Amino acid sequence: MIKRIKNMEPYDLVSNIVVLIAAILFLLPLFWLLTNAFKYSTEIYRTPPTIIPERFTLSNMQELFNDQPTFRWIFNSFIVSSGTAALSVLFSSLAAYGFAKLPIKGRNVLFVIVISSIMVPKETFIVPLFEIIIDLDWINTYSSMIVPNLATGFGTFMLFSFFAAIPDSIRESAKMDGAGEWLIFRKLMLPLVKPGLGALFILNFVTAWNDYLWQLLMARSKDMQTLNVGVAGLQQSINPNLGLRVAGAAIAALPMIVIFLMFQKYFVAGATEGAVKE
Amino acid sequence: MIENIKKKAEGYSGYMFIAPQFILMLFFIIIPVIKGFQMSFYEKYGRSQVFVGIENYKFLLNDPIFRKSIYNTIFFIVAIVFLTIVFALFVSTTVFDKTSKYLSFIRTSYYLPVMVSMLVMSVIWKMLLNPSSGVVTWLLGLMGFEGVNLLGNPSTVMPVVVFVTFVGNVGQAILIYIATMIGIPQDYFEAAELDGATRFQRIRHIIIPLVRTTTIYLVITNVIAVLKIFVVIQQLTGGGPNNASVTMMYYLYQNAFVYNRGGVAAAIGVMMFIIALGFSIPQMRTYLKED
Repeated sequence: MIKRIKNMEPYDLVSNIVVLIAAILFLLPLFWLLTNAFKYSTEIYRTPPTIIPERFTLSNMQELFNDQPTFRWIFNSFIVSSGTAALSVLFSSLAAYGFAKLPIKGRNVLFVIVISSIMVPKETFIVPLFEIIIDLDWINTYSSMIVPNLATGFGTFMLFSFFAAIPDSIRESAKMDGAGEWLIFRKLMLPLVKPGLGALFILNFVTAWNDYLWQLLMARSKDMQTLNVGVAGLQQSINPNLGLRVAGAAIAALPMIVIFLMFQKYFVAGATEGAVKE
Repeated sequence: MIENIKKKAEGYSGYMFIAPQFILMLFFIIIPVIKGFQMSFYEKYGRSQVFVGIENYKFLLNDPIFRKSIYNTIFFIVAIVFLTIVFALFVSTTVFDKTSKYLSFIRTSYYLPVMVSMLVMSVIWKMLLNPSSGVVTWLLGLMGFEGVNLLGNPSTVMPVVVFVTFVGNVGQAILIYIATMIGIPQDYFEAAELDGATRFQRIRHIIIPLVRTTTIYLVITNVIAVLKIFVVIQQLTGGGPNNASVTMMYYLYQNAFVYNRGGVAAAIGVMMFIIALGFSIPQMRTYLKED
C-alpha cells in the first residue's frame, strides 16, 4: 500500500487526495441527515453542531410513525415501485425479444419510436397526461402512478442487447422440435436473460420510488401519498418541529441507500447500458 | 390449410410480442403529446374550452416571467452540464485504474446523493442553508459573512441551485465514465507508457478522446435532465426570490396547477418537448448506425 503510494506520479497522488476529500464531503449531507434524525430539535438547532447525538432519542421517529401515516406511505411506495418494476420487466422483455429475434417489417422505424420515448421526458406532456388520467377516472389510484410509467422504451432498449446476444441456433433447433414462439420465449429465452431482468427490475424500482412530481399530482388524499410525497408535505406545512422533518427525510433516504449498497453492480451494469456502445 | 394459417400467424408473431409495449406508448406518450399540441391552442374559461389560436404562445413570448424562466433554464443547463462533465471526467480518470475496493468506495460516495433522489437532497440543503439555524449559514458566519441568506438573495440563489443540483446529479456521470474507462484495452496505456508519457498526458491524449461517445451521451442526457429541473426549485426556492430562480418546468407546473392556465402550461410543454426531441436526435442517430 505505502509502496504503491510512493510510486505514484505527483499528478496521480494530488488528484486522488482531492477526489477522496470531495468524496467525503459528498457524504456529509447524508451523514448530517441520518445523525440528526436521532437528536432533539433543540440539539439540531445548536451551533456549533454536534457530530453525533449528545442525547440520542427516538422521539422523532415515534412521532413520524405514530402521528403520520408513514407506514401507509411506505406501503404505497412499495406497491407503486414493485408494480411498475414487475410490469415493465414483463412488457419490456416481450418487446425486446420481438425486436431482437422475430421478423418485423419496419423494424428500424419502430425502434426509433422506442428510443425517442426514452429521450423525451414525460414531464413535457404532463398537462395532457393529467387530463387523460382524469378521463380514465384514475386520479388517486395506484394505476395512475404505475401505468403511465410503463410506456417508456427504456426496458425494451436495455433488454434488446441481452436477447440479441443469444445465438439464433438455439431458437432454430427448438423450432425444429415444434415449439411455438410463446413457449420458446418463456421456457428457453427468459431464463437466459435473467441477469438483465434483475437489473431492469431494480433500476425501475428505484426510478418509480423517486418519481416525485407525478406521484404528487396523482395522490389527492394523504393516505394515497407515496413516501417521498408525504415527506415533502411534512417540510412544507407550517411545521415548527425540525426533528420530525429531519426524521422524515431520513426515512425517505434509507431504503435507497440500502438498495444501492446491496445491488451496486446492477447500477453499474444498468447505467452503462446504451452509453458505452461504440 | 391449417398449416398455412399457422405459418402465416408465425410471420406476425413479432408484432404480437411488441404490441403491448406499443399500445402503452400510444396511450401514454403519443396521444398525450398530440393532445398537448391541441391543448396549447385552447384555453379554459370556466367549463368551456375556447379556441384561441396562437394566443397562448403570444402571451408567453410577451411574459417577462416566462422569458426569465427561459434564461434561467439555459443558465442551469450550461452551468450544470459543464460542471458535471468536467468534474466527472476528473474523478473517473483519477480512480478508474485503482483497486476495486477503493473504486467501490468512490462510486458509493458520489452515487448515494443520486440514489436518495433530488427531493431528499433538496430537503437536506434547505435545512443546511436555513438563514437562522442552518449549518452552512453558521460556517459562513465563522468565515466572517454574518447573517447571509443565500436562498433569499437574487444574486446567490442561482449558484446555490447549480451547486445543489450538481452534487445530486454528478454521480451518474462518474458511474458511467468509470465503467467505460475500465473497458479500455490495456495496450493503449502500455504503448503510451513506453513513450514516456506522464499520467496527465495519457489522460488528456488517450483516455478523454477514447470516451468521446460517452461524453456526447452524457451531455445529451444531462441537458434533457436539467431542462426539466423542478424539484430543487420547488423545495429550495419556490422560484424566488421574486422569480429570480423560476425555470420553464416550474413555470409550467405553476400555470397548470396553481394559476389554472392549462392552455399556457400546455404551450410551455410543447416548446420543451420540441427542445428535448431536438437534443435527442444525434443520440438516436448513433443508435440507428449500430443496426
